[in-house]
Amino acid sequence: MRIALAGNPNSGKTTLFNALTGKIEQVGNWAGVTVEKKEGNVKGELHTGKDKLRVVDLPGAYSISPFTSEESITSSFIKDEKPDVIINIVDATNLSRSLFFTTQLLELGIPLVIALNKTDLLSKKGITIQKETLEKRLGCQVVETVSVSGQGMAPLVQAAIDASGKMQPPAEDSLVGADDKKRFVFVNELVKEAELRQVESVKQTRQDAVDRIVAHKFWGIPIFALVIYAVFSISQSYLGPFLADIFVGGIDQLYGLVEGAMGDQVSPLLSSLLLDGIIGGVGAVVGFLPLIMILFFLLALLEDCGYMARIAVVMDRFFKKVGLSGKSIIPMIIGTGCAIPGVMATRTIRDDRQRRTTAMLTPFMPCGAKLPVIALFAGVFFNNAAWIGTSMYFVGILIIIVGALIVKRITGEGAVRSYFIMELPEYRVPSISRAFVSMMSRAKAFIIKAATIILVCNAAVHIMQTFNWSFQVVEEGMENTSILASIASPFAFLLIPLGFGVWQLAAAAITGFIAKENVVGTLAVVYGISNFIDTEELALVSGAENVAAVMGLSSVAAVAYLMFNLFTPPCFAAIGAMNAEMESRKWLWAGVGFQFSMGYTVAFFVYQIGTLITTGSFGTGFVPGLLAVAVIICILVVLMHRGGMKSSVPAKEMI
Amino acid sequence: MGLALLSRLPGFTMANQSSKEITKEMQRDFSRESKQRNLTHAGSNQPCVIKEIRTEEEGIKEFLFTLGCFEGETVTVISTLADNYIIHVKDARYSIDADLAKSILI
Repeated sequence: MRIALAGNPNSGKTTLFNALTGKIEQVGNWAGVTVEKKEGNVKGELHTGKDKLRVVDLPGAYSISPFTSEESITSSFIKDEKPDVIINIVDATNLSRSLFFTTQLLELGIPLVIALNKTDLLSKKGITIQKETLEKRLGCQVVETVSVSGQGMAPLVQAAIDASGKMQPPAEDSLVGADDKKRFVFVNELVKEAELRQVESVKQTRQDAVDRIVAHKFWGIPIFALVIYAVFSISQSYLGPFLADIFVGGIDQLYGLVEGAMGDQVSPLLSSLLLDGIIGGVGAVVGFLPLIMILFFLLALLEDCGYMARIAVVMDRFFKKVGLSGKSIIPMIIGTGCAIPGVMATRTIRDDRQRRTTAMLTPFMPCGAKLPVIALFAGVFFNNAAWIGTSMYFVGILIIIVGALIVKRITGEGAVRSYFIMELPEYRVPSISRAFVSMMSRAKAFIIKAATIILVCNAAVHIMQTFNWSFQVVEEGMENTSILASIASPFAFLLIPLGFGVWQLAAAAITGFIAKENVVGTLAVVYGISNFIDTEELALVSGAENVAAVMGLSSVAAVAYLMFNLFTPPCFAAIGAMNAEMESRKWLWAGVGFQFSMGYTVAFFVYQIGTLITTGSFGTGFVPGLLAVAVIICILVVLMHRGGMKSSVPAKEMI
Repeated sequence: MGLALLSRLPGFTMANQSSKEITKEMQRDFSRESKQRNLTHAGSNQPCVIKEIRTEEEGIKEFLFTLGCFEGETVTVISTLADNYIIHVKDARYSIDADLAKSILI
């Protein structure tokens, strides 16, 4: 038996889905978290029957006629795939809007059960709802639920089983095929009859007062910056490194244990591959897991409390000036966890150009995989300063805004108006346990990735570094003849103007396209793990000067290298997601080319200007680098100019 | 220098001219709109009855409808924040931008 979950955005469908199935799908306190349908089986303890109950979680929709593409997933699933039962999740605090969709669903003839969700909020808001009146007038069973605490799940499943196979009558025969306005008239009457409100929802509340502060014209951005700074300083300067240091001790012990167990029997080549390549490389990445887990935990708290929707309001003004809207900020915030769901979240944006631009720019946000890179560089060169992470976050946003402006000029569609509308969810105290669950599931994904892709990559890097093209072991002092060095060297040549033109760093940047964590792993392999982990003090990053000296980087070049890794194209998986959402090869290639140009240009200016300030003269390779950047800028200017011509054509036709 | 060179190209001045035309057109558009009271004229906490939703963009009207925001219904501006209007429609709060607020006539 198949049960579909349908209802308005942010009514708690995915939370209910998780409560029913025991899965841990991403939830958040704003409209449009779920953009794909998800399936799972109802937990055994919730029903006694032998049949398997399959639940399908659908993206939120306000009506059966789709507005955005994720809404059309919902309506086409219900209409075409005919689930056996629909559970319509209705936000109990907002009957007057939610029941409109209910009246449409009731006419499909599919048995329907209403989950009257968020009933725990009713008494707080002084609302009483007569369940029986709703049941009588709508002609279906109504079950009170609280999906965040899992209340009412067993009765809901029972009601769904009871309803299956029965004929579902419409709420009122006169409504079938009638004008949608009549539906609202019907809903208004019904709500008047069934609902009693002591306090009108239009009354100003404390929440509105909070909104006036956090979404303030001038204070909104500083508050946002402060929140992000707090997130980074907790995860990177205080709690994170403390936990990481303990954790790293364990990795170090494993290294020693494996080393001891192998003894002298194993060939030195194999033991070096295992110790330095796999344990060392993967260990360097996994060493950052505690930092990342804390960051994910804090982000989950932020997503849960309802603050994200306010950020969209604050950012709308800036994004509008560059041809995007506040809606574009949501994918970018999701992209702080991982760019792939971030890019997928662009589906909620209706306008093709806006959606593609957002999909192109979302990967500029520092995702979880880039965090080890940030943490490593912040640790080595800046003594774990939280402002590195925070500034990378805001530089990311700045680059996105500049990027959007350039794309807007190139596509030449500046004059098109776009409307921004977004539901403001209520603030709530974020749940520690939900954030914990979300953190653990992301940590699990991180570990799986480290044990598969990153392990294989590090082993490959180690092998390529150990052998030369005639498959002989590279001798000491001849490292430049290794397979890895000869592949990476031509790329390194291109990176000289950016301040990091050595093959080791080039190789790390290249493996970063497979997964960004690889940057750290590869660095650990090519420079030797002992330079990263202080084996005596069991600290994650040993003496900063040592590492800096081994890498041969100045602080300025380190920032340039960090930015190059953050602001060039994302990993291949994220590029795949971009391809899926952009639905245009032209946009995809242009996007990847744009990301490369952006990373190169930013790193060039950071290195050269930074070097000029710190040493009084430009860094190496200034002239050729300037030429390359000039070519990039010229191409962009010509494209923008052509875009300007394009936008002038319809205007002329208008006259 | 590159920009100065570009501005000599014939296309560049053409683009400039037409962008002026666009702004003129938009101004005319605006003055037509401003004759009628729209949501940007409504004071905070004053419930207003929607007279019409006037917009060129397909779909947005239908979308507002599904939220219960259509002619005859009541809308209240809760506050104005960062160039956005926080409005109350049918027990929910939404943030809308000034452009959308202008197309809701009251």
